[in-house]
Amino acid sequence: MGKSVIFNQLTGGKQIIGNWPGKTVEKAEGLIEQEGFKIRVIDLPGIYSLSTYSEEEVVSREFIASKHPDLVIDVIDACNLERNLFFLFQLIELEVPIVVCLNQYDILEAKGLEIDCEKLSKHLGVPVIKTVATKNKGLTELFRVMKEILLQEKKPLGRVRYGKEVEERIAKLKQEIEQRENSSYPPRFVAIKLLENDPLITSQVKSQELSSLAENLKRELEAIHGEQAETVIISERYSVASRIAELVTRKKGASRRDLTDKVDNLLLHRVAGYLILIALVLLIFFIVFKFGSFLSEEISALFNPLIQYLENLSLPGFLKGLLVHGLLEGVVAGLAIVLPYIAPFYFLLAILEDTGYLARIAFLTDFLMHKLGVHGKAFIPLIESLGCNVPAILGTRIMERKRDRFITSVLATLIPCSARSVIIFGLVAVFLGPFYALLIYLIDFLIIFLVGLLLNRYLKGLPSGLIMEMPRLQKPVLKIIFRQTWIRLRDFTNFALPIIVGANLVMEILILTNSVEPISRVFAPISWFLGLPAFATVALLFGFLRKELTLVMLATFYGTTNFGAILTGEQIFIFGLVTMIYIPCIATIAALKREFGAMKALLVTAGEIIGAIIIGGLLSLFMRAL
Amino acid sequence: MTLAEMKSGSKAKIIGFTHHGRGFVRRLQEMGILPGETVRVERNIFAGPVELFVKGTHLAIGKGIAMRILVEPLEG
Repeated sequence: MGKSVIFNQLTGGKQIIGNWPGKTVEKAEGLIEQEGFKIRVIDLPGIYSLSTYSEEEVVSREFIASKHPDLVIDVIDACNLERNLFFLFQLIELEVPIVVCLNQYDILEAKGLEIDCEKLSKHLGVPVIKTVATKNKGLTELFRVMKEILLQEKKPLGRVRYGKEVEERIAKLKQEIEQRENSSYPPRFVAIKLLENDPLITSQVKSQELSSLAENLKRELEAIHGEQAETVIISERYSVASRIAELVTRKKGASRRDLTDKVDNLLLHRVAGYLILIALVLLIFFIVFKFGSFLSEEISALFNPLIQYLENLSLPGFLKGLLVHGLLEGVVAGLAIVLPYIAPFYFLLAILEDTGYLARIAFLTDFLMHKLGVHGKAFIPLIESLGCNVPAILGTRIMERKRDRFITSVLATLIPCSARSVIIFGLVAVFLGPFYALLIYLIDFLIIFLVGLLLNRYLKGLPSGLIMEMPRLQKPVLKIIFRQTWIRLRDFTNFALPIIVGANLVMEILILTNSVEPISRVFAPISWFLGLPAFATVALLFGFLRKELTLVMLATFYGTTNFGAILTGEQIFIFGLVTMIYIPCIATIAALKREFGAMKALLVTAGEIIGAIIIGGLLSLFMRAL
Repeated sequence: MTLAEMKSGSKAKIIGFTHHGRGFVRRLQEMGILPGETVRVERNIFAGPVELFVKGTHLAIGKGIAMRILVEPLEG
């Protein structure tokens, strides 16, 4: 916890921060430039161990072993010393220079405890620094120590020794490894991982003698302790960790009563917990809609005089079309239709992330998610998905297994991202009323549930269970919330807005060259099936770039945002529903391809397009028949 | 007895695991759920996961996995 905060403070970076374990799914890089120094800093995924349970751990382990960083900063939760030392020991075994940050030190003090850093540093053989990252405390000291170490010839590698029986066997194996194997990992690390039965390291052993020696030594350990060899090593590591933790921790004063337990009792209550969850979701929906529609009108009003003014200028028609309808209205569409809804959503999402409530949602929804073949942790990327599907698909890496990740990703593509919510809010809620908007969401969630059931039924492999650390609840830090919102909004203005404006220009050119009609005609059968005007299908086509474009294109083509005048109620509903279901956008397809390969990406894309057309068409035929 | 059967607020000692299937047993142990370790069951609600307090942290363990963790109930 707190790793990304430290990274951001050091580098002035823009990592997304959240209070749940495992959100750093991509390596982030930053640069510190200070006092003539340039230090490149890399933020690795937060992990519990260096075993091969999840992909994250393999990534981090291989990165450290192969890239030989000059220094590794291990950010430790001061309140969980024992557990974090367990991890630190494995880092020490990788034989890299280390500096330890005892982060969230203020919370430890609030509990009436203190840690003797000097003593701890002596036991570990690496420097230890107290920090409170969120309050920017201790970071100057951290930078000073980093600089010192980087300039030193002899760097602090740290040391950890286990009990005699284990150490003897590590030594034997190590000797054998030094003679026979050539690994990017240090021999001692390999020796310990072999005793631990690490699948990846074990499979990389080439020498037959080494394998059988490891087998024998493991059996000896098992005979002495009456437990599996991996249990022996893990217990050993924990017993050293707990001994050191005890030696350096002191009681300093009375502990202040912790409120978070009481709040948790309410948030995780078997009845109240779910009621609160539902109430919160509805509240978010309400705030985003109210605030969004208000902001939307205000921003439109702001631009109207300018559009009016340009409209009245005597310019050649073609130029005016491009300038006013293509360029300017594209910008206005982005700023007035889209931004007002995503800004409050991202703000509220950042609050959820920062407080640690997302992990509570994972807890509450675990049983529900099991029906879909995944566990509660899947709910975290699914919530993120409400913002944008792309980071959500990358975020499924917090799931341990490929099967879980795939199911979660497919479900994520069906979750209404902010772009789709814009359509639902800006079109359905405004012209049909909030009830119909809610109905579309409900239909969508039903579809998600059914797809999950089907995937779980027909995908190979067994569902896995939940093992998750529950982060402490904490008060959201306003500065972090604002920064988080800002980072995501900047992504929108940098990447999405140009696409919206560009597509709008293309549309305007199509209109000015009278090419919309012929294109619409090609898709006439689909338009008929969906019961939509011919142009609507072309608008849906533009949605592949960004979902908001479906609405923006309608506005550009008809030259009005009063959609109630162009479409009937049924048409608005069908248009909203189809937009909601068919594959999110080109960026999402690319993310799927990157994570699961072209074949699966294609299958998901085709499946969702066909599904959306069939569902929309049948519903439309049904409504027309009535 | 398994962890899944423990009541909220009770304490238990971990005895072992019913399936020594790779993966999850290792992860449980790495997170401190080791034979001999005493844990406090913070919450065990119907159908939901079991919340444990172990080695200074709250962990949520799915029911399916909790059913494979053998425990001995402790007094108080």
